[in-house]
Amino acid sequence: MSTIHSKNAEIFNKDRAKTTWHDQTFWALREKHDNMAEQLPEWEELRSHASDIKCHTITHLADYLEKFSANLESRGVIVHWAADASEFNETVLDILKSHNVSKMVKSKSMLTEECEMNPYLEKHGIDVVETDLGERILQLLNQKPSHIVVPASHLKREEVGRVFEQKGISKEIGNYDPTYLTRCARYSLRKEFMDAGAGMTGCNFGVADTGDIVVCTNEGNADMSTSMPKLHIVAMGIEKLVPDYDSLAVFLRLLCRCGTGQPTTAFTSHFRQARPGAEMHVVLVDNGRSDIIADKEHWQTLKCIRCGACMNTCPVYRRSGGYSYTYFIPGPIGVNLGMLHDPQKHSENVSACSLCLSCDNVCPAEVAPGSQIYLWRQSLEALGKANKMKKIMSVGMSVLFNNPALYNTALKFAPLANIVPESITNIGHLNPWGVGHGNPEFAKKSFRRLWREGLK
Amino acid sequence: MKVGLFIPCYVDALYPEAGVATYKLLKHFGIDVSYPEKQTCCGQPMGNAGFERMAKPLARKFDDMFKDFDYVVAPSASCAAYVKVFYPHILEGEHECVSSKKIMDIVEFLHDVLKITSLPGRFNHVVSVHNSCHGVRELGLSSPSELNVPQFNKIIDLLKLIDGITIKEPERKDECCGFGGMFSVEETAVSIRMGEDKIERHMATGAEYVTGPDSSCLMHMAGIAKRENKNIKFVHVSQILAAGL
Amino acid sequence: MNKEEFLNKLRANTTQQFDMPDMNINGIKYEDTIAQFISMTETSGGKVVNAKKDDNLNAIIREVYPDAKVIASNVSGIDASLNPDTVAEAQDLNGTDVGVVNGEVGVAENACVWVPQSMKEKSVCFISENLVIILHKSSIVDNMHDAYKAIHMTDYGFGCFISGPSKTADIEQSLVMGAQAARSVTIILID
Repeated sequence: MSTIHSKNAEIFNKDRAKTTWHDQTFWALREKHDNMAEQLPEWEELRSHASDIKCHTITHLADYLEKFSANLESRGVIVHWAADASEFNETVLDILKSHNVSKMVKSKSMLTEECEMNPYLEKHGIDVVETDLGERILQLLNQKPSHIVVPASHLKREEVGRVFEQKGISKEIGNYDPTYLTRCARYSLRKEFMDAGAGMTGCNFGVADTGDIVVCTNEGNADMSTSMPKLHIVAMGIEKLVPDYDSLAVFLRLLCRCGTGQPTTAFTSHFRQARPGAEMHVVLVDNGRSDIIADKEHWQTLKCIRCGACMNTCPVYRRSGGYSYTYFIPGPIGVNLGMLHDPQKHSENVSACSLCLSCDNVCPAEVAPGSQIYLWRQSLEALGKANKMKKIMSVGMSVLFNNPALYNTALKFAPLANIVPESITNIGHLNPWGVGHGNPEFAKKSFRRLWREGLK
Repeated sequence: MKVGLFIPCYVDALYPEAGVATYKLLKHFGIDVSYPEKQTCCGQPMGNAGFERMAKPLARKFDDMFKDFDYVVAPSASCAAYVKVFYPHILEGEHECVSSKKIMDIVEFLHDVLKITSLPGRFNHVVSVHNSCHGVRELGLSSPSELNVPQFNKIIDLLKLIDGITIKEPERKDECCGFGGMFSVEETAVSIRMGEDKIERHMATGAEYVTGPDSSCLMHMAGIAKRENKNIKFVHVSQILAAGL
Repeated sequence: MNKEEFLNKLRANTTQQFDMPDMNINGIKYEDTIAQFISMTETSGGKVVNAKKDDNLNAIIREVYPDAKVIASNVSGIDASLNPDTVAEAQDLNGTDVGVVNGEVGVAENACVWVPQSMKEKSVCFISENLVIILHKSSIVDNMHDAYKAIHMTDYGFGCFISGPSKTADIEQSLVMGAQAARSVTIILID
């Protein structure tokens, strides 16, 4: 009764030491989150405000988008409206072509991953250079992010060092010191910043009131990407909007504290217009978001600010890794976003949750990804994606529990199961419980029997 | 005060001693306790597996069976939480759910309703408290480690009333043990690994016993400990609290 | 897609609406706001140098960065060999050892300093190996709520909160200062 996620997780867990390391790496981030939360007496107030502000903004999104785009256009920024991933990709390519750009530097954007922009642009002859160090490493290795905030955290320094050697980025063979490798990447990327024809950034927050595009990075790579090229393209999902600066303050106080356990990113950049002599484009992307708004059960998923806290706290993510999920965003929020994106394709991730609900508690915008997974499980049957074995077991329980007489009889004979040797029942595929568990022993007398025999 | 005893299916079959201990505790404090014999299961296993519709007839029967009691008390945080959190939604459109407002875990009931201040008995052992997920995050038996809220733990408050006991909490005090109902048979590798990690942290406290309000978590960990020959015992918190009864 | 269709679909799919919450958030206040700012700056990997109003800033910069050859700034009174207002291209600022800029507002809770673009080429804030930000003590506030009430945007339409040097932990979570932008940040805090 395994899912794609559980099969991948099983392979992941075969390397016990690496599983331990992965778990500890992300638990350390979870602990930093706790430390940050403790330092602010107003922490829970911030979370509930963040949720309320997002509920308001999402349900007034068209109005705020009009205000936002009008503000941008009033200062010469060109605003584009993309209904889906292909419109987004085509729009970006058009902009690049009309400026004869052959190389574009870009900072991290989950939206461009979602739209699979890089392969599309590369197919059309554009050299796309990721400039976030983690993303750059993955690009060189031809891998996808395993986490949305720390995308290359599943890699060991040796793996990074070797690819840097292969690509000629590091010269000292065998030097895998993170400081040395970071320095090498700095010199290599500096050249790219100097001669790129365009810079692309994502957008952490769009401020309707002012028209600001707010981008948070620790490396300063979004600023490097936009300070030299004469063309700045912003990729923005429409759910990134907040009403005003007062709202923005709430989210900025939460984002990084939740994600990496820092009180802020090193750079929080506010782009309101193109720099002198340059041009700025903002591409607003729907790609299914307007449909999510109509989904009565799951629309609040749009409150997500992509901080990654739910991944860090998730005991399943920590012990199965980002690549065990079928959707490019892993962890609790990824299970949800995958189902919203294409339920037929991503229902195999819904098993990746013990319903511990820790993610509900760390989420800065109170998306409640864990509780939402419970709801997704209820929809699998209608999607034709219910697990047959689980269904048989549930029907069996249902028959038993709905029939007290039958249940009584079953309990009477239950202790017999104890006599059957464990070695016989412990056959993995027939009895998945037996894979790692010794069998529980049925009591000689059930509680109901004890009650009848005069407990009262 | 009339209390209906809810003994969830697996407690009934596998851990009746937790049910007996709960009964004894209630009687000790002079409560009028009844046990409706037609009860079976709250429906959580099916709901968590994605078959909430199969939990519906059970919820209907449960709500009817316990409607006349002042409180419904169960020795299982997770089952109590299912009734409390999910029943109103499951019965939506049929009638207003009443049992969800009356259900309590035994720890909650002793701590919040009876507000007990003493218990007879000794337990001369080191115990590590297992703060089960639904006890923490749905019933509020202790302050969740993720939130910035005042610190409390109702399980520990009660255990402190027992003489001779040494109470510990593991590192990562409320991280999931990996049971999760059908999660444990669907995501076996991760579930077992979570259980192993949890047992290790409980054992690192020097505990002889792991105790908690959820026999399901204890069953999961006990199963792994048995398979791996770990020298640690598991006991439901009600049994320690009833040690002198 | 055109804007109207795009927005019409959004409006059609929105079936309920929620109000904005009241925004009276009790943002943290510090007993000693300046001390908190200094301590957070150090935590973020930055350095703080205290200065009196009439101190010689050029001497201070020389002392902190004795080996600096190329200094870029358009701040009046700062000795600089490059001026971000007059360079032909942003790229010309590459190779700057020390960039010197003005900060408008400091934030005690996270060591952010608001640096509004007040030069033609903002690259000076990022491309320089080391960044000096001049900030007045009186402009330090407790938290981001207060900061957003205090900051201004210049006509360039760009501003950035900078908190310490550029950093990354992308390789095995080990913290390295100086990823793509300035490797060190010094705040000159003026009385």
